[in-house]
Amino acid sequence: MTIAIGKAMQEGRNLLEPEAYELLAAYGVAVPGHRFVSSAEQAEEAAAEVGYPVVAKIVAPDILHKTEVGGVLLNLNDAAAVRAAYRHIVERSRQAKAALKGILIARMAPPGTEVIAGLTQDAQFGPVVMFGLGGVFVEVYRDVSFRLVPLTEPDAVAMIREIKAFPILQGIRGGRSADLTALADLLLTVSRMGQENPEIAEMDLNPIIVYEKGLSVVDARVLLHHEAAAA
Amino acid sequence: MPADGSPSFKSRESLQAIFRPRSVAVIGASTAPEKLGYQIFRNILEAGFPGTVYPINPKATEILGRPCYPSIDTIPAEVDLATIIIPAPLVADTIRQCSKRGAKGAIVISGGFSETGPEGEALQDKLLQAARESNVAVIGPNCQGVNNPHHPLCASWPLLTRRGGVAIVSQSGTVGAALMDWASQEELGVSTFVSLGNRADVDEADLIHYFAQDPHTRTIAIYMEGVKAAHKFLQAVRQCRKPLVVLKAGRTPKGRKAAESHTRSLAGRDEVYEGVFRQLGIHRADDLEQLYDFSKALAYLPRPRGRRLLIVTSSGGSGILATDMAENTGLDVVPLPEEVARKLRAVLPKHCIVANPLDLTGDANAEMYRQVVEAAGPHFDIVGLIFGDPIPGASKVVGTEPLQLVIYLGGAEVERQERLLFHQKGIPVFPTPERGIRALSELLR
Repeated sequence: MTIAIGKAMQEGRNLLEPEAYELLAAYGVAVPGHRFVSSAEQAEEAAAEVGYPVVAKIVAPDILHKTEVGGVLLNLNDAAAVRAAYRHIVERSRQAKAALKGILIARMAPPGTEVIAGLTQDAQFGPVVMFGLGGVFVEVYRDVSFRLVPLTEPDAVAMIREIKAFPILQGIRGGRSADLTALADLLLTVSRMGQENPEIAEMDLNPIIVYEKGLSVVDARVLLHHEAAAA
Repeated sequence: MPADGSPSFKSRESLQAIFRPRSVAVIGASTAPEKLGYQIFRNILEAGFPGTVYPINPKATEILGRPCYPSIDTIPAEVDLATIIIPAPLVADTIRQCSKRGAKGAIVISGGFSETGPEGEALQDKLLQAARESNVAVIGPNCQGVNNPHHPLCASWPLLTRRGGVAIVSQSGTVGAALMDWASQEELGVSTFVSLGNRADVDEADLIHYFAQDPHTRTIAIYMEGVKAAHKFLQAVRQCRKPLVVLKAGRTPKGRKAAESHTRSLAGRDEVYEGVFRQLGIHRADDLEQLYDFSKALAYLPRPRGRRLLIVTSSGGSGILATDMAENTGLDVVPLPEEVARKLRAVLPKHCIVANPLDLTGDANAEMYRQVVEAAGPHFDIVGLIFGDPIPGASKVVGTEPLQLVIYLGGAEVERQERLLFHQKGIPVFPTPERGIRALSELLR
């Protein structure tokens, strides 16, 4: 069990986003450069350290949908914008009556192809890995693929290839192919994380931005099995 | 379940008692021809069961000329199998009594169990307890029985006796019986038919485990609304070396709800099933017709060595339909090599279109198909032969090198006769170009 999971289990809560980043990084998954801060000054320093442009995100355990409470501010290009964003998020969390743990300053990931991956529990089959293209592809077309944990490498490759939107990943209209090897590796890692951390009930990596070379997990949500811990 | 948590399958011995019994007691055998208790008893006799059959009914002295016994205690010898068609509240005790008379297996046709509500569920719990304590393997309850034409044992309905290579395992009696009926009409037959019903005891995983070792079974066709025990199912499928074709119903939210009330199945999320089936190499059928076609192709056609397909047809339209389906399912309708085309143009009538698809047109005869396969066959992995007119002698010109897929349509009486001739030779015939090519593509998955 990682330190982050142990601490969250003790406190009876889910992983905070910086902890989810930490977990991913421990498994060798690329996440944007980031700092977890608790003052406007720290925010400014963090932004200079990770490099502009940055994003500021609210970190509060009882807020699941950060954007809906106005807790995510994108494309901050200078120190003034970062300080303003810090104050704005503190204000919004006060209005939402959320227990603010701090603010995450992360480097903005350059644009690429957005995909999602995750781990969920099937009532009968147990933990399964999910994959799909982001946005409407998942929400409207339910264009997703699933495999049981543990995944083999051919399973990971097959679940990427079987979604209907696969040609988009291969590159259309002369576009270059997204890094399919990195993507398959990520799915294998998600499977391994599920296998090695039975405390994880659900993991939602959304979005993941895939480039010609490499990828970056921009947003990560990890829910834990708290009943299992009590038992 | 053993201590290490791995699932245990029903023993071969107990399932043999169900599929290959030496003797059968029919408990609830009836003298009234409209009752299942009469029909099942009659079907066991008429299918030619090779052992002794004991009808049991306290109100009758004789059924179909056989002496009837008032209870299982009064029969003169022990039995392997009990087929039970009596009211639900009596079933659990009857299973215990049968066990005392040697029964290792029971088929419970009776309904009135978990499918009816909490009271029925309690009766089913009692049935299962009786089965476990007396070490009797139970098929059902609420099922349509078992038919093994290779034994033969038809403890089911309708009476069908044609032997074949596909085992049918179905949570729905009618769905399974329909498949068996089609196979029978086409003279292809089945290896065994099993209606699972409520699956209180024996489930699909036990049967996959059993049929994986059954010498008559080449392919297992399953209709299910959901798996009963996921871990056990996964293990059975991973160990099975034979093709498995599954029609999984309850794909939509309303379908899932209907499945829950039909056999109390947890239908689960369809996308997850899709992934699990792909991961396990299960052939997933989208409908009954595909369940039938895929099983037929997988049981009776060898695996092609590649994807290059030549389509030979007497019907231009059928050739195009076949080409479209081939393209959509990843088969390669590659061009006919020029030297082969030259050779064929010299022997075929002028109006034939010598290309791929190769259209022999409406006046084609069996000999022309033979000439084409002889000249072009070595250049392809598969030849799809579409007989799209009444072409007599078709069954005489089809060989095995390379793999030949037979599609016959529009041939009326000649077609029906030829189809049976093909099937008697063990060569499956498909009724439309799309169904034939779609089924073929499963061999390459």
